[in-house]
Amino acid sequence: MNQILLIAWREYRQYVFSRGFLIFLFMFPLGFVAVSAAVGVAERTKPVRYFVVYDETGLYKDDILDRIERRHSYAVLDALDAYFRINLPEGGAELPAPFAPTQIDRKRLTAFEAEGRSAAALDIAHPMLKPGAPDFVAPRVAYKIAALPPPDASKAATMEEAEAALRPYLVEDRLIETPDGARPLFAAVLIPADFGSSENAASAQYWSRHITDAELQSRVSTALTDALKREKYNALGVGDDAVKEIEATDAPVASFRPDRAPGEAKLGLIDRIESSLPAAMTYMLLVIIFGVGNLLLTNTIEERSNKIVEILLSSITANQLMMGKLIGIGAVGLTMPTIFIAGGIGISATIDTGGQESIAMTIVSALTSSNLLLIYLFYFFCAYLIFAMLFLAIGAISNSLQDAQSYMGPVMLLVFAPLPFMIMVFQEPNGLIATILTWIPIYTPYAVMMRAAADPPLWEIVGATALMLAFAFFLMRTMGRIFRQAILQASPPKMREVWRLAKKERA
Amino acid sequence: MSEPVVLLESVVKRYGGFTAVDDLSFAVAPGEIYGFLGPNGAGKTTTLRMMLDIINPTSGRIVVLGSDSAIPVRRRIGYLPEERGLYKKMKAVDSIAYFSQLRGVPRAAARKRAMALLEEFGLAEFARSKCEALSKGMAQKVQLLSTIAHEPELLILDEPFSGLDPINQQTLEDLIRNQRAAGRTIIFSTHVMQHAERLCDRFLIMAHGEKRFEGAMSEARASFAQRLHVRTTAPMDALTALGGVASIRVEDESGAETTYEIELDDGAEPQAFLERAVAAGIVLTRFEQAGATLHDIFVALAGDDDETGAGAMMKEAAE
Repeated sequence: MNQILLIAWREYRQYVFSRGFLIFLFMFPLGFVAVSAAVGVAERTKPVRYFVVYDETGLYKDDILDRIERRHSYAVLDALDAYFRINLPEGGAELPAPFAPTQIDRKRLTAFEAEGRSAAALDIAHPMLKPGAPDFVAPRVAYKIAALPPPDASKAATMEEAEAALRPYLVEDRLIETPDGARPLFAAVLIPADFGSSENAASAQYWSRHITDAELQSRVSTALTDALKREKYNALGVGDDAVKEIEATDAPVASFRPDRAPGEAKLGLIDRIESSLPAAMTYMLLVIIFGVGNLLLTNTIEERSNKIVEILLSSITANQLMMGKLIGIGAVGLTMPTIFIAGGIGISATIDTGGQESIAMTIVSALTSSNLLLIYLFYFFCAYLIFAMLFLAIGAISNSLQDAQSYMGPVMLLVFAPLPFMIMVFQEPNGLIATILTWIPIYTPYAVMMRAAADPPLWEIVGATALMLAFAFFLMRTMGRIFRQAILQASPPKMREVWRLAKKERA
Repeated sequence: MSEPVVLLESVVKRYGGFTAVDDLSFAVAPGEIYGFLGPNGAGKTTTLRMMLDIINPTSGRIVVLGSDSAIPVRRRIGYLPEERGLYKKMKAVDSIAYFSQLRGVPRAAARKRAMALLEEFGLAEFARSKCEALSKGMAQKVQLLSTIAHEPELLILDEPFSGLDPINQQTLEDLIRNQRAAGRTIIFSTHVMQHAERLCDRFLIMAHGEKRFEGAMSEARASFAQRLHVRTTAPMDALTALGGVASIRVEDESGAETTYEIELDDGAEPQAFLERAVAAGIVLTRFEQAGATLHDIFVALAGDDDETGAGAMMKEAAE
């Protein structure tokens, strides 16, 4: 056992204590912070997008403006909620409605706008802010309307004239005058005179070169749809105030779990995390197997081609060498996620969330409140064992990475084959695809991990797990045979000989 | 002989239809330096690997340090394979210590011993150098030190002299003698006869997986025809006529006298040949007895091997 651990420790040290790994370990969170910071900076420095509305009806421009302003109010309120949660002693719970952080619905948003928006909220919160709290930085206004450029567009008599007049601005041959100075025109909305008058009336037009940024188009579309609906309500005799009240209605729907006691059945964050964890763990497993598989492969090839293996085999058995490698490289694979998860939880635990449980702590609770963690670990190691044995055997029959390539293609296909089906298993954990994957031994770990939180039939899990263990045992024997016999051969065995090695250990 | 350190009885190793080692038996006594000689593909490495239980024999019995398998006694064995390697990124001192630890030496003791050996062999200043930074000769020394650092009772060295320069060959010869002086048993394979002749108490010659000879140098010489170098004015016919001569050839004809190399018939005594020459009135100004060299014996016993033939290549591939 000591020798197995010694081999494992050497393998572990070789990778984890290498300069490259330590730099990566340091760079990864740094990169994460840098990307987050870059996103934040990009968000803050994102230029205001200017658009114009040519409305022949004269009816819908205000609707579009209202919609855009409302979306901005939502972003401000959302940012305020986050700011108060961190910078107020009780996480902002002591603030009056609508400023106390909670779920944002239309009613709360309307009240927020009516009661003075962020200025009013900050006035109330100011005396309560924690010492040293930074100033609130409101999200930037994303879209602003500009006046139609004179003389042609503002005096256009038809949609075609307006479009022709705006085209040089839309292709940025010319800049549009705004209160902030001359700016590029991001988009133009053209609304024909008969818009919404009948089923066959002409549609509104959205012109922009920025076809990948569909946010403004979506807001315009929603604003016009709401306006048309309101007109129809009016036509049916429902007044504007009544329509506004109807629009402010959000149906409260709470989710419940039938497997919980009546008082605890309401679905909360922990349940959502619990149901998302299988997917996260499965993807982590895939990433680790891919990374660790390559380490096992290159490492075995190095020992084989460097002829170290014969010295090793004069001190330990081939099985001990194999086990040491499996443990050592497996530990390398677990080190990185363990460090990041532990670091994340540690950092999260130090953030004062005003008495509320942080997301990281909620994840820990989700993992530790049931036997999920044990299930994950068990299947994680089974999957690792199955694929690691394949990589080890390939390493043992290859003198170089080039030799290994011919075997690696099919194996990588096997590793990643379940990926397209994972979303189906996630959405329907007890469906047909999930059941089929569960009964294929090499995918049993993935499928069971994905289904763990969905209470799959016990007989199915026990049966499939027994089959998987039998398969893992068979694989360990056959791949072990290949490893033991091929690792000392001077030239790599041919495919036919590999088959012979797998079948029988020669004496 | 006291209980042998290594004993092989009728050992056979087959790879499919090819026999790499055929009915091999021999015994190595404690404290002996035992040479394992044979051309490429003779089955030397296969035999050594079987002794270490790295590969299993097809049939036969192997006893090493009193055990039917080398696995339980591996910590008492030091093995230097023919094709050697080190972990490139590992430091020299760590390499020696690591292999010692694998053979059961506690970590601290392994490092201490590794440092001491590096100092003894003049590599102290490279102790912390990565193996990839060492010269070939230095790396070979580190490999050798890795083999002896755990102070094994039995040293098995497969072609230890290959790739060494003359200075390092001498260092290795000294090391082998020192190890024997410390009471260890050494088995080494080689196809360089000079080392074997200088070092071995006994040796075994293999060819085609079979044993061709086992014993001491004196025994080998005794079983080979005697050779003489004589200088005389007498003609070749007169010498042949003395009897007991298997073959004769001229070595040197400068001056009035000629030097001949004479191979006597099996069992013929040089002294008797000298007496017959004196009786025949032949004046010999030089009479020198020359025994067969190990090279001669090796070529005679194993020289019929087709070293580059299909058989040898098959063996190499199988090994």
